[in-house]
Amino acid sequence: MGVPAFFRWLSRKYASIIVHCVEEKGKDCNGVRIPVDTTKPNPNEVEFDNLYLDMNGIIHPCTHPEDKPAPKNEDEMMVAIFEYIDRLFNIVRPRRVLYMAIDGVAPRAKMNQQRSRRFRASKEGTELVEEKNRIREEIIQRGGYLPPEEIKERFDSNCITPGTEFMDNLAKCLRYYVADRLSNDPGWRNVTVILSDASVPGEGEHKIMDYIRRQRAQPNHDPNTHHCLCGADADLIMLGLATHEPNFTIIREEFKPNKPRPCALCGQMGHEIKECQGTAREKQGEHDEFADTMPVSEQEFIFIRLCVLREYLARELTMASLPFTFDFERSVDDWVFMCFFVGNDFLPHLPSLEIREGAIDRLVRIYKDVVHKTGGYLTQNGYVNLERVEMIMQAVGVAEDNIFKKRKDDEENFKRRMKEKKKRMKAEQQGPAYLTTGQFAPQALGRGHRPEAVQNARHQAFDMRMQSNRDAAQSLKATMRNGGNSSAGPSDSTDNRGVKRKAEDSDSEPEPEDNVRLWEEGWKQRYYKNKFDVDVTDEDFRRKVVKSYVEGLCWVLRYYYQGCASWKWYFPFHYAPFASDFKDIKDMFTDFEKDTKPFKPLEQLMGVFPAASGNFLPPTWRSLMSSPDSSIIDFYPDDFAIDLNGKKYAWQGVALLPFVDERRLRAALTDVYPDLTPEEEKRNSLGNDVLFLGKSHPLFDFIHELYRTESQEDTEIPAELCHGIQGTLNLDDDPILPDKTVASPIPMLRDISQNIAIGVKFKDPQYADDFVFKAVLLPEAKIPNKVLKPEDWERGNREPWRPQLGFNPNRQQAHLDQSGFRALGHSLNRNQQGRGQYSNTAPPSSYHQGGYRQHGGHQSFQHSRQHNSLLGAPPPFHQPQFPRQQQQQQHHYSGGGGGGGGGGGGHGWDRAQQLQHSAYQQNRGRGGAGPGGFQQRYDQRRDDWHDRRDNRGQQHQGSSRGYPPPPPSRKYNWN
Amino acid sequence: MSIKRRESDLSAVRLGNVVLPAKGSVAGMSSSVSEYLVQNPHVAQWVESLRGYCETGKAWSARREFILRNMEAFPAVQPGQVSPHLDRLLSLSMAWANHVFLGCSYPQAVMEKIREMGEGIEVRDAPQHQTTKELSLRGKRSAPSEGDTDASVKRAKCASNEPDSRGSGRGAPCPVNQKSGPLPQAPAEHQPFFNRLYKAVAWKLVSAGGFGPNLDHCEILRSCVESCKQTLTCVFVPLKDITGLPAGRAQKEGHVCEIRCQTVYMGTGYGRDEAAAKNMASKEALKVFQGRKVTVKICRRRYKGREVEDLVLLDEQPRSQALPPALSYPFQEQEDPPS
Repeated sequence: MGVPAFFRWLSRKYASIIVHCVEEKGKDCNGVRIPVDTTKPNPNEVEFDNLYLDMNGIIHPCTHPEDKPAPKNEDEMMVAIFEYIDRLFNIVRPRRVLYMAIDGVAPRAKMNQQRSRRFRASKEGTELVEEKNRIREEIIQRGGYLPPEEIKERFDSNCITPGTEFMDNLAKCLRYYVADRLSNDPGWRNVTVILSDASVPGEGEHKIMDYIRRQRAQPNHDPNTHHCLCGADADLIMLGLATHEPNFTIIREEFKPNKPRPCALCGQMGHEIKECQGTAREKQGEHDEFADTMPVSEQEFIFIRLCVLREYLARELTMASLPFTFDFERSVDDWVFMCFFVGNDFLPHLPSLEIREGAIDRLVRIYKDVVHKTGGYLTQNGYVNLERVEMIMQAVGVAEDNIFKKRKDDEENFKRRMKEKKKRMKAEQQGPAYLTTGQFAPQALGRGHRPEAVQNARHQAFDMRMQSNRDAAQSLKATMRNGGNSSAGPSDSTDNRGVKRKAEDSDSEPEPEDNVRLWEEGWKQRYYKNKFDVDVTDEDFRRKVVKSYVEGLCWVLRYYYQGCASWKWYFPFHYAPFASDFKDIKDMFTDFEKDTKPFKPLEQLMGVFPAASGNFLPPTWRSLMSSPDSSIIDFYPDDFAIDLNGKKYAWQGVALLPFVDERRLRAALTDVYPDLTPEEEKRNSLGNDVLFLGKSHPLFDFIHELYRTESQEDTEIPAELCHGIQGTLNLDDDPILPDKTVASPIPMLRDISQNIAIGVKFKDPQYADDFVFKAVLLPEAKIPNKVLKPEDWERGNREPWRPQLGFNPNRQQAHLDQSGFRALGHSLNRNQQGRGQYSNTAPPSSYHQGGYRQHGGHQSFQHSRQHNSLLGAPPPFHQPQFPRQQQQQQHHYSGGGGGGGGGGGGHGWDRAQQLQHSAYQQNRGRGGAGPGGFQQRYDQRRDDWHDRRDNRGQQHQGSSRGYPPPPPSRKYNWN
Repeated sequence: MSIKRRESDLSAVRLGNVVLPAKGSVAGMSSSVSEYLVQNPHVAQWVESLRGYCETGKAWSARREFILRNMEAFPAVQPGQVSPHLDRLLSLSMAWANHVFLGCSYPQAVMEKIREMGEGIEVRDAPQHQTTKELSLRGKRSAPSEGDTDASVKRAKCASNEPDSRGSGRGAPCPVNQKSGPLPQAPAEHQPFFNRLYKAVAWKLVSAGGFGPNLDHCEILRSCVESCKQTLTCVFVPLKDITGLPAGRAQKEGHVCEIRCQTVYMGTGYGRDEAAAKNMASKEALKVFQGRKVTVKICRRRYKGREVEDLVLLDEQPRSQALPPALSYPFQEQEDPPS
């Protein structure tokens, strides 16, 4: 869902759904990488059966990363993708299925959004190049230095669209990757891999949903399969809920806003392209060894537990004394449906519903209010009851007027507050008006400065007095010299104020003009006039918009619960109607056109690409995008309007692009179809999912037999051989077969000479056209244990509630024994530069932050902890490589299992952490859901840290640069 | 046969169009279209089938007129038949409507064509739109000047070449010949003029919407100077003729321009051609006027490999970067020192 705010809102409101991932890192021994053994139990203390990858969420960051240098060529991109998948596989460790889905041709309803994204991307790309050139010239003209322009051409991210050569290559590379891992990685040995590449129509996440839906509708499906879906889109949460599988977890990168980015011009951090000065690069680290590292931590992953979300929703949605029996599963479906009002990829959101303004809460409130009137649920199995939806819409419509007014008020308030805050911040920065100096100068506590006896206090006081007198006299003189109009001189008190005030006024950026003014009387009229260019009296037109929107709601819900109802349907306007316009909608929708077909890949490229990306298409096709004689030239404007629609930035606005006329597009393409080369024709055809498995898989011999007998017909998978997974197998034309060398498509990787993987075409189980997938819990599904604190816990007069931090409710708590405390105290003392009176104790909560702080630039807790734990006494500074390795391994075990037995004092630190942390929690009354995942996060960071250091080798152990700067900890600043 | 008839009917209307006053009034125009459609129900029915689902009445009636008016340019288009020719006409009509109602623009050849074809069709009260270009310009307008002030603050920190550092001439290649330099009282003489110019520039920039990258800097500077009854002196030198540039500089083409006014140096700029160089120099000159005041001072700078004293217009901010080498030296009319 194109609503980043949705995830933020969800994770704030329902905090316990988030669990931080524990990731075991590969080790490096004398330069040899030791891969992680993923056959071992999952360190997250949970076992997943199936891992689904929405590959586009992986391809984008790997091909044009925002936080590290871009890969130099396509091969490096592929390797980056492989590594990313390896990382995910290591975290999740699926035991049965790995499903990789790349976006194929999307339904028409999605194409409009894709089109708008690609037109914008291309536009922004060329603008960036232009600006770069302009600034480059300016800087050079001013005499600055810039690294020479790279010869490498810009990677056009638009090529990540089905039908391009890049996607074709990617599919080949992934086949190679899968064969390699199946042959060589023990963790993959029994995993069934399904690859659905870009030639299979459908969006990646929806192909995954289709797979799940079709599996769970067949009798052999294991109702307690634990699914894990990887992807950052918020709508994955909706999709996961829509499956009604009890064990469903989503894994995604932790969202960290405002990550620093290098300047696009000189590649240095710390400034943007606009401020580039063209100065020489600063040396990073003593020997410039951190030149290519960014001062950011590696992206971490989080799990989103949908079973916990279901618990929350059950609390929120359960209604008593209903005229009908309450069914939680159906109320979840209604909740999902209402979330679509707030935003989805296929429809613009209603102007009155803004997720930041608590729109979903409002909807839920209304939903519960009108449930007595509606007398039932809004949806069933993905079909909408429009009569009831109308009642909800009307209830929202009643409040619309007030919502707009309140929005305006809030905005004004926000602006005012920001202004005041700025003022306050400035005042704070100026510091106190007068500071004592000399021996009376204020000193921070705990820095180890021992106060000394005051000497000659009177003289000092005299000095201070005279100093301020002198200053005052000087400034007075200066003022007089300048005739009251002081522009220079040491007295900047008056001057400063004058300048500041001016700056403050000019700060307020010019607001985009808002012609609609939703908060003022007559808003509806203005909205329709401004956005649709029609009068509010044009009832027919308004009905048309509403009808399309109603169709859209039905289409989207169906898409989530039953699959794509129509490949053709789309919402043909740029804006949504008001909630209050939803009147008499009952008969607006009957059904969608049946048997619609998706576009072919190259056709879709023609539908979503701007002319500037035409290089991905054959020449004659390309010319259709630019020639004045083309019969579809109107689809390809070279510039277009963006309506900010009340937002601040261009990328938030609505791109006013014309819609594609499918008939004319197809007609125009019939003329150029003969120009396709056989290669292009192959790319333009629809493909199949491919299933891979290794030799030790029970299904292997069955498939091998199919190839041996050259069976030409569809073959069903015997359910008992593959965890109840069903589907149809067909021989692949260019299969991956055991003992047949798999050639590497990437020069830097080796061919697989001893391949033991086999690949075969796979098709999801098929059902009759009118089959309805039931949105219910399966009969034998076991609901996982509750995680949230029962609401009547206190009343039960039981022991204090212990919040669950990970997947395992019975996590082992680690403890610190006496020797551990001794070691801790010792190491702390040694490392404190100044021995302030507080330096014996570690500060509690902010400790994991402070731990990174380098003390005096050469020692850290991490080091000394190792010394202590291994040898019992602080060893000399330069220690051999080997013991550290061992030490680290111990830590990996402890990170997962929560302590473990061995290791002696080696875990002292961990335990201190945990002990203190739990004490802290108790102090907070252990109420509600405590801060989640502290320990995991800590462990993981620490491991990261180890790794990074180890990878870099020894020579720069002492340097303090390059490590992630700790977030500023307020309370305990030790430096 | 009947189609033929309709064809001729159509051309009758077309003739009618021509008969109408060249820039026919909107009302007259659209009424003739609707009249024609009433008379020709088949055409009316056919043309109605071309209406897009999401098209507003206003947009459709304009586009319908566009289609009907331009049918003669596409003789193969016959009402009721789908053909590539019709599609081309439809495409152009959509492009035109997108341009008028959505704010899209197309490659130049297309724009010219649809402008020509749509001539005479007047649309009242067409919506106003901002294209991406305008948006990005708007977003950036404030930014570079902000960046500039930031940069100058940074510069202040590491000032290395104070304009007044007269005595610190150590390492100068050859001693300065005082006689050929500007007179010591010259700054004071020139200061009043530049105070006037400062005011003129300030007002001019206010009316132009503030200093920014999108101004015609050259024009602004010229008009301001002329309004103060003076003229600018520009010196152009091809970049390749300048010696002593840092080695490894990629650019060898282009020109450098130096602007002076009343012998006082104002700015230097580089550009691909002389106009661009002059514009860049003007921009640099105008930047000086962004401070709280301008001052004429005598500064040391390089000229033809020597260190000379020059009259320079400065703002208050100390600069880290030394002044670029002078391209001309107006204080040595009597004798050109051997170089």
